[in-house]
Amino acid sequence: MSSQAPSRGKRWEMGELSLYAGALGIIALFTLVCRFYGRNFLTLTNIQNIITQSSIIAVIAIGSSLVILAGGIDLSVGSVVGMVGIFGGLLLKGGTPLWAACLLSLLAGTVFGALNGYLVSYGKVPAFIATLGSMQIARGLALLLNLGKPISRFPSELGLIMNAKVVGRMPVSVLYVFVLYFFMAVVMSRTRFGRHIYAFGGNPNAARLSGVRVRRVEMSAYVLSGLFAALGGIMLLSRLSYADPNAGNGYELNAIAAAVIGGISLAGGRGSIPNTLVGALILGSLTCGLQILNVPVYYQTIVTGVVIIAAVYVDKRGERRAE
Amino acid sequence: MLVSSPTSPYILEMLDISKSFNGVKVLDQASLRVRAGEVQVLLGENGAGKSTLIKILAGAYRREAGEVVVDGQRLPPGAGPRDSLAAGVSVIYQEFNLVPHLSISENIFLGKEFGGRFFVNPAQAASEAKRYLDLIGLAVPVETRVERLGVAEKQLVEIAKAISNRARVLVLDEPTAALTDRETNLLFDLVRDLKRQGLGIVYISHRLKELFSIGDRCTVMRDGCTVGEVAMAEVDEQELTRLMVGRQLERHKRVSSRRQGEKALEVQGLYYHDRLRDINLTLDKGEILGLAGLVGAGRSELARCIVGDYRITAGEVSYQGKVLRGGVAERIDRGVVYLSEDRKDAGLILSQNLADNIALPSLREFARPLINQRRLFATCQSFIDRLRIRPPNLRLPAKNLSGGNQQKVVIAKWLCSRAGLYLFDEPTRGIDVGAREEIYTIMRELVAAGASIIMISSDLAEILRMCDRVAVMAGGRITAQLLNDGDLTQEKIMTHALAGVSEGVVSGGSHV
Repeated sequence: MSSQAPSRGKRWEMGELSLYAGALGIIALFTLVCRFYGRNFLTLTNIQNIITQSSIIAVIAIGSSLVILAGGIDLSVGSVVGMVGIFGGLLLKGGTPLWAACLLSLLAGTVFGALNGYLVSYGKVPAFIATLGSMQIARGLALLLNLGKPISRFPSELGLIMNAKVVGRMPVSVLYVFVLYFFMAVVMSRTRFGRHIYAFGGNPNAARLSGVRVRRVEMSAYVLSGLFAALGGIMLLSRLSYADPNAGNGYELNAIAAAVIGGISLAGGRGSIPNTLVGALILGSLTCGLQILNVPVYYQTIVTGVVIIAAVYVDKRGERRAE
Repeated sequence: MLVSSPTSPYILEMLDISKSFNGVKVLDQASLRVRAGEVQVLLGENGAGKSTLIKILAGAYRREAGEVVVDGQRLPPGAGPRDSLAAGVSVIYQEFNLVPHLSISENIFLGKEFGGRFFVNPAQAASEAKRYLDLIGLAVPVETRVERLGVAEKQLVEIAKAISNRARVLVLDEPTAALTDRETNLLFDLVRDLKRQGLGIVYISHRLKELFSIGDRCTVMRDGCTVGEVAMAEVDEQELTRLMVGRQLERHKRVSSRRQGEKALEVQGLYYHDRLRDINLTLDKGEILGLAGLVGAGRSELARCIVGDYRITAGEVSYQGKVLRGGVAERIDRGVVYLSEDRKDAGLILSQNLADNIALPSLREFARPLINQRRLFATCQSFIDRLRIRPPNLRLPAKNLSGGNQQKVVIAKWLCSRAGLYLFDEPTRGIDVGAREEIYTIMRELVAAGASIIMISSDLAEILRMCDRVAVMAGGRITAQLLNDGDLTQEKIMTHALAGVSEGVVSGGSHV
């Protein structure tokens, strides 16, 4: 996979080619199969559905990608989504204005990210353990805050965050995804911060001796991951107008899957952010396509698993050959 | 020295072996032949291809051309480590292949445990292991965990393991590097014993003196080729050096750029826990100061203290008249940089391309706040051209370059950040002769332009060739600061490098 974010005049690499080929292949396959069953896959509605449904995972996956690029992992994002939903829901129910509730929710997620980041970068707790613990804590808080009960009947403006239409029938959530991805792609490829994350993930020792403030950089990856998870939490709350303390369960795995399918190396330091979006869309079109074909949900899970493994298998084949 | 019969058959023949990495030929029709009951020395400079040749013998690398015949049996080109082992080749590397928290007997029989299909039989293993330990004269209980053994004992366990594998050819890679004189003598007795039993032994060492007491014949390698095969009894040290280097070592007239009195660095009363004690040093502009000493004398620690990677526990380091504070990042801003000994682990991000590596410490220069890629690439390209980095391709991952070129990339990185004080830690280790000269030239250009250099090196010839002064370290102290005035010799430096060692061991007094 690409060793760096895209830059001027870059050459296509094998891993990237196979990612895009895979994405097109899946779309072509569904188009054919749907045609065979007399249905249409590539309709505007379907495409919109895919992007809308993938948007929350896609946003969370930005954070997961940052953490993985920095050589770590963040398992807590799914629980943070649930916790932010209940937290924000309670604020709204208590009469807090929407904008303030959103800001405070983002802050809550960021605090969780900072906790993870501190434990991993300053406390030297392995990322897997630190975020496994905070995953439980966040889930526990989500349940505790409203004693396990869901919250519903929100003011209608909450729904506008996700469902307001911008151009024609395109929901605003699609816009969020593209804006955020564009912004982060630029940050990662064209700013010191981004290059420092790549350097740290690629070789923490060399990065430190090259003057990268490694602990600060590593910690910021987790802080951002918490922030993007909180954003995902607000988006989910807005879309459902319903806060469930168990919401977001398993999202961390979907977000990691999107990053990995997109070719972000779990060893750190290699991969590019826009490809994570492709990964998230591949996962989204799988779900959507299988739903159109009325494939039972159990099979969908299995297919998702196969696709994750296949993506990494194909990616690693190049490396195996090189040896 | 034992006289071996010249007619004894070859137990190992490696003929016309070739091997390339990334299109760079590292072995070019190299050959190595060993007779049963003889010690064949394998000699060559760093990067001459010795370790590659040995790794091919061990099955760790695949050869591209040539034949390997062990005890009359041809090893196919695709043979792996297990095939080599089965053919009777055992290699004892400097870093031992032992599992620290397993016992001696478990280590010896690792992968070939006694007993049935599922269960091992510890008792049988223990008694067998005891037999091997007796054979090599190691009087330690076989249940002892390997992590509790000293270096010499671990080495004996490795040899026992080799014998238990029915080794016909035993390769010893720098076996005496970490041994005391007494341990070395015991090892030599054992090696002579193994010779008598008909093993063929390949012996790699840089210590020319000891080669004459243990070696029978010597294969000399240079730049991936075998350049000579001689009987040890018929050559002297000078002849071996000449073969190894390929020319008489000419004495270059050293040109000093030292601007005496223009102080660049000053270290006063520096302590770092119990590893460094009362270090006092000065360094002038344009000066190259050599830092000599044995491994573990504290040279790298001192360098890491100066560049801020280690926090000193007492004392003061100033550069250009101002105290150096903070960590690595702050000192890089001041122009004080460290080129670590381990380029792969601490110098480069191997998976990233040359541009990313070179620009990493200087990104601020190109970012406002977005990085100007075009300017960054142009700047990096200029350094690649200036240092003649091969291949001159900015987009190539650093891992695809040879050791010498990797070192140049690290230098380019600091040139790009406009550093003024370079701490080179073993700058030419593992670098072939040609590239080494280029690195010396670059260092001379740096000081001529007014930079200062501290050069840590274990290669005393290199130190004498490059440095204005030499600070010798032993046991965490500086035991001498010597002016390289033409009368300085390797022996004089060595005396001071050993001073602290014998001090600690024998008298415990100090003599500075």
